[in-house]
Amino acid sequence: MADRKVCILGGGMSKWGVREASIIDMAQEAAKDCFDDVPALKKEDVDGLLFASSYCGRSAFQVNIAPVIAERTGIKPTSICTRVDTLCAGGSSGIILATGLIKAGMADVVMVSGGEKLYTPQRWETYYSEMASIDHDWEGAQGIGLPPPFFSMTAQEHMKRYGTTKEQLSAVSVKNRRNGSTNPKGHFQKAVTMEEVMAARAVVPPLGLFDCTPITDGCAAVILTHEDKAKELSDKPLVYVRGTAQATLHSMSMNWPGEDLADWVHLRIAAKKAYERARVGPEDIDVAQTHDCFTISEIIEMEDLGFCKKGEGGPFVESGQSDFGGKIPVNTDGGLLACGHPFGGTGIRQACEITMQLQGRAIRQVESAKIGLTHNLSGLNVEHTILIYGREP
Amino acid sequence: MPVPGLPILEGLYPSTMDLYPFEAKEFNRIHPFYENLRQNRFTTTKCKKCGNTPFPPRVVCPKCNSDDLEWVDLPTQGKVLRFTEEVAGVPLGFEAPLIHALVDLGEGRKFISRVINCKEGQLKEGDTVKLAVFEVPPMIIEKRGGVMEESPRVFFAFEPVK
Repeated sequence: MADRKVCILGGGMSKWGVREASIIDMAQEAAKDCFDDVPALKKEDVDGLLFASSYCGRSAFQVNIAPVIAERTGIKPTSICTRVDTLCAGGSSGIILATGLIKAGMADVVMVSGGEKLYTPQRWETYYSEMASIDHDWEGAQGIGLPPPFFSMTAQEHMKRYGTTKEQLSAVSVKNRRNGSTNPKGHFQKAVTMEEVMAARAVVPPLGLFDCTPITDGCAAVILTHEDKAKELSDKPLVYVRGTAQATLHSMSMNWPGEDLADWVHLRIAAKKAYERARVGPEDIDVAQTHDCFTISEIIEMEDLGFCKKGEGGPFVESGQSDFGGKIPVNTDGGLLACGHPFGGTGIRQACEITMQLQGRAIRQVESAKIGLTHNLSGLNVEHTILIYGREP
Repeated sequence: MPVPGLPILEGLYPSTMDLYPFEAKEFNRIHPFYENLRQNRFTTTKCKKCGNTPFPPRVVCPKCNSDDLEWVDLPTQGKVLRFTEEVAGVPLGFEAPLIHALVDLGEGRKFISRVINCKEGQLKEGDTVKLAVFEVPPMIIEKRGGVMEESPRVFFAFEPVK
């Protein structure tokens, strides 16, 4: 059997934010929103469920959560039903795996769902659990947790090496918070000014409050299937998964693969592979959702994804090249900075936004977008994941 | 002392909440790292077959798959390349400011370590820091007959050279 072409039909999200809801509740909300988005899809059409979550084993005391989500949402998978954990890229990993299964004929209609309940009854536990998200025995035990200190050093490195300024970091936050202001599902709907970002309290200098993604509860879900089934189930333009890549070269900081912390060689490797597989180059991407866990991340991603030259990420974002009307609109739904980052849910949220962009129905629409890209980095910047979607296979 | 919400845990050791590695020999095969640390030695494993000396220590050489490894010493002093002082969101078990540095140990080894015995504003890029070993709470291991044994532990950070 020849490889089948794989389409993403649509998706949905629970409300993201500080939620008075469990992960099981939010997974049901996301699945409902997803089924509502693909009205012809019936529960019995779905033969696979991949649920991306990293913290469910800690903050919900539930491992092997996929059967629980399947039962609560009323789907009965017969091809695959399992959990995926790549921390910040879990949702994207789920989409990559679903694509492979559908392409190979091992599954037909797969729901990729995911998210986290990060707010625990006492807040210390959230920060404490973060130390299990990186190389625990060597770096978690150093109190590093999730990466503000790491990305502070990364920002310092980029500032020293390329002259990147705090205003340029802030420009990312101002853009993404403005984009998120019209996204009802995201964590924050309030735009912020350059003055507010610059004057915000420090978290780890030079990173302040608005340079960091918040802690967020939420879930998201998408539906993938093969081209023939997609034509049957969807009345919207088809969106194909064109190419994917996921690169990991190290786990602990002593084995960092780049020349310095601002040199993301693993991102360049993943990008090269994803572009090759999608048969496009960075100049062909019309819209991108990249992993703005910190403002500095989006700046370096512009460079290492090939949207601008190395070292020019600061001026690129400051001059509006990553905004509407610029070279490539980035994080059009608000990104992590506005939507928040319930780890397993993020790649799926990005896929929802890119799908709507390519179908021409996004809240902030990039005019005639045909090719879109999503990107995640995971943990202490140990893994880069890229998916490229297109209106053509 | 009873644990709020979990009175059943009184006097018990919930290992899934442990900040530090399970260092005891019953729970890992690289325990000599921690025994060496106690002697103020910072060590790792070297492959006797191909000479590869990765950190952290391994039980099998990741390059040639040999399991014939020996313990060797790494430098215990390094130079601060970059550092951060975390003032918000510090995890339980640590106090703000929580200081971390990208330390250059030489031999092409750079890594991030916590810096202790150091005041906010004291550290500068280029400063020399040295290994600092300290006691951390013991693991509680259940032995035959339900006897609970305390397994002492140490961990490490770096500190400014005065």
